[in-house]
Amino acid sequence: MGFNIGSVDPLFLACFAIVALPALAFGTIMIFTWRRDNLSLGISLTCSTIPLILAWWLFFTVKGATLAEPIILQVNWMVSDAVVVPFGFHLDPVSLLMLVIVATISWLIQIYSIGYMEGDPGFARYYADLSLFGMAMLSLVSASGMVQLFISWELVGLASYLLIGFWYEKFSASEAGKKAFVVTRFGDIGFYMGLVFLLYFMKDISLFGLGIADINNIGLTQKLTEAQITLCALLIFCGVAGKSAQFPIHVWLPDAMEGPTPVSALLHSATMVAAGVYLMTRLFPFFAASATAMAVVLAISTITLILSSTIGMVARDIKQVWAYSTISQLGFMAMGLAAAGLAHGTLFAGYYHLTTHAAFKALLFLCAGVFIHHFGTNDFFVMSKDGGRKLMIPMVTVTIAALALAGIFPFSGFFSKELVLAQLWHLDNKLWVGLGLFGAFLTAYYTFRVIFVLLFPRPDDHPAWQTYYVREEVAGHGHGAHGHEEEEAHGSHGHGGHGDHHGVPWVMAFPLIVLAGFTLVLGFMQTRIEKFLLGESHPHELNYLLLVLAVGCALGGIGMAWLDWGRARANWSGFLSKFPMLENFFIQKWYMDHFWRWFLNTVIYGTFSRIFTYNDRRVVDGGVDAVALGTIGSGRLLSFIQTAFLQLNLLFMVLVLAGVGIYLLMGR
Amino acid sequence: MLVFNQLETYLYLALILFAIGLYGVLARRNLIAVLISVELILNAAMINFMAFNRFVAPHPAVGQVIALFIMAVAAAEAAIGLSIIIAVYRKLKAINVEQATELRG
Amino acid sequence: MKALFFPFTPQGVATIAFLLVVAFTVVGALIAVAARNIFHNVLGLALSLIGVAGLFLYLNSPFVALMEILIYVGAICIAICFAIMLSQPLYLPGAPRNPLKIQGAVLGAGAVFVFLALLTKKTKWVPAAERSTDWSITTIGHYLLTNYVLIFELVSLLLLVAMLGAIVNARGGRGSS
Repeated sequence: MGFNIGSVDPLFLACFAIVALPALAFGTIMIFTWRRDNLSLGISLTCSTIPLILAWWLFFTVKGATLAEPIILQVNWMVSDAVVVPFGFHLDPVSLLMLVIVATISWLIQIYSIGYMEGDPGFARYYADLSLFGMAMLSLVSASGMVQLFISWELVGLASYLLIGFWYEKFSASEAGKKAFVVTRFGDIGFYMGLVFLLYFMKDISLFGLGIADINNIGLTQKLTEAQITLCALLIFCGVAGKSAQFPIHVWLPDAMEGPTPVSALLHSATMVAAGVYLMTRLFPFFAASATAMAVVLAISTITLILSSTIGMVARDIKQVWAYSTISQLGFMAMGLAAAGLAHGTLFAGYYHLTTHAAFKALLFLCAGVFIHHFGTNDFFVMSKDGGRKLMIPMVTVTIAALALAGIFPFSGFFSKELVLAQLWHLDNKLWVGLGLFGAFLTAYYTFRVIFVLLFPRPDDHPAWQTYYVREEVAGHGHGAHGHEEEEAHGSHGHGGHGDHHGVPWVMAFPLIVLAGFTLVLGFMQTRIEKFLLGESHPHELNYLLLVLAVGCALGGIGMAWLDWGRARANWSGFLSKFPMLENFFIQKWYMDHFWRWFLNTVIYGTFSRIFTYNDRRVVDGGVDAVALGTIGSGRLLSFIQTAFLQLNLLFMVLVLAGVGIYLLMGR
Repeated sequence: MLVFNQLETYLYLALILFAIGLYGVLARRNLIAVLISVELILNAAMINFMAFNRFVAPHPAVGQVIALFIMAVAAAEAAIGLSIIIAVYRKLKAINVEQATELRG
Repeated sequence: MKALFFPFTPQGVATIAFLLVVAFTVVGALIAVAARNIFHNVLGLALSLIGVAGLFLYLNSPFVALMEILIYVGAICIAICFAIMLSQPLYLPGAPRNPLKIQGAVLGAGAVFVFLALLTKKTKWVPAAERSTDWSITTIGHYLLTNYVLIFELVSLLLLVAMLGAIVNARGGRGSS
């Protein structure tokens, strides 16, 4: 698949521009214009608008790229012996669709951030980081080889670190950034090892390369043994689990809420966490070749689903709730893919859920951002008391997104979730679909807990406020402590917003409306997207039993939430408070943070760290010192050779030269 | 075959000149004499170039050009070398190589 | 019979003249390295260089031969004479010779000689398939200003730097006036 630079393909040029422009914006802002906020904003917006247009152009014009026969524009960056490491672009429906999603959402979030980040001292830096994030993700999506994908993957990690720890003056933010970076790195080690093993196993067969097309090649999966594929797939899944926050290394994601809210939206919808599921989709034929790996993935994603849903039921921070909902929905996607892999289905269900989820999750976070921006707190109980429901646009859109998340007709989440459940239904063991339905029920419950609290605040003298209206304590939680945010929020609250009766600047409202539109429309595009992805659409035999069950679960969850939080006589305690132990277990996040803390303290710091410290002090430092001392000593010794008899030195040089020359000539 | 129409004659002649020059560099203590010997070595190299130019090179102007460059370099070298010798003489009151021993280990 | 008359044929005269030139070169070189008086060394060098210029005549390049005399005999030898005058007085006796050192030098030079002689002998010198016969100065000038113009410029730069360096060195470093 050689590619001749001389004849530049417009397709290649477009792909290149999509990836290169945001990188250019990052470099320019970081080096030249970081003092000039408006100029930086202009550069960043320009360099995200052009990729947006190009991505949509590619989406509509590239014909003939199918999953089986993608368009590959690549150069072989490294050819060593028989190993081929290609760099370039891999265009097929999966990457084209994802390109559009990423470009669109990151563009909308850049627009939204104009309002959200207004007046922040790090405004230019923020836009530079966003550009880097966009570039990394776009490059990841369009990568044609695993090495390129891995590099982009790490760049995504880097950008997320920069953005989560954006308010680095705040201790918790910088800690959260570090946590996200280190925890995902934990998974990435697995990913990397998976690649190395894969390369090692490929040594014995003729197919030898880390191009995505090579790995997905049916020939490869047939020639490798089942055990080899399982090992590689599971190791690569470690990376997926790290990025997509699957159990047990999901702990970074809730902490990642320390970043600015638009960043959370970006992180949760189209970029960071989607990267993991995207990788699974990307290598779906490879993953599907190992039933064992798929079963493990299915189990892990199911645990993730249940775990995060239960924690979401008790969280009080609106962003935390959405964060846990992200984790659970990622679990859903992974379940859909894994079930499809087990039942020889297609990647459509999981990937479609990724698509719809990207839209409504971005919407949820952006709405949360509006509330947080307005009220200067992350606690939705406080928002509720302070009049959250008066913000019309975000209230309507958040409700739409929540309906989608809960899976209610006609919103997009309904269609994709139904597909995933149908995929699970095909499995022999009905336990999985049961757990999936349970997860859907919990999802509906915790989502509508937030919505009902926001929509139906208690009267001001209600006793519930004594428990829930705790402004100061919670303010330390959010980034209100950052100062400017809170000030500004209070100011705008005081005199009724920025001259706008909604209190929502149009730059922030516009993305909400666009995303709400997507949320409404995407569900009805199901057949078209399927046709685009797979080349044909299978008419779904409607499984009425499942449909009823799914809708029943969703409505049940909403009803439960209504009973606990919505109706006028609801006592705002939740059915969980009947089981205090269970509730405490959930509030403590299943003790996962404790577990990791313990793990770090005893295993990492207590054992490895000590051994390595010893090694560092004695062996490494000692070795360096020994080398240095040895050099000095031998220098002292050998300095006697420098006799300052210039001609003697020259004589020996000449003699040796002549001797070697004569010796070489003797044999000829 | 006349003796002056053979490549080897010139090569051996240059070789003799080179060896004499090398001997001078190795044996003489006077810095100026060393410089003179270096000039001999350079000349030996130049003879080689001219000889190859005469007998084997595809274009006979190239070797001459290179000979001219060698001369220019030799002139520069002589100028610098002599100025160094004078500086050394000022410092040590001698131009004996064996007395320039400040860098002895 | 033929051998007897050889010296009187044109080739014979040329050969005798060539041998004379070779003798000039070698004897001059020997004087240049062996004589004890440094001034004799310079004279020997001049003699040797004149011989080399003669060789260049035999090698078809009168221009380079002229340059040789002009630059080497005319400039470098004179410069060396200046250096001799500016440094050690000639009436001072030199240090006695060190026989060990001379033996070492002979050994070194001999070894290199053997090496290069072997190399010369064992190499098969093949002339280029097509050889131009253009020896003119015009062509040299043409080459200097076209193909080799970069080196030409570099050499002029080198000469400038050498000049500056020589001045700085000879005046006793940067600090002195």
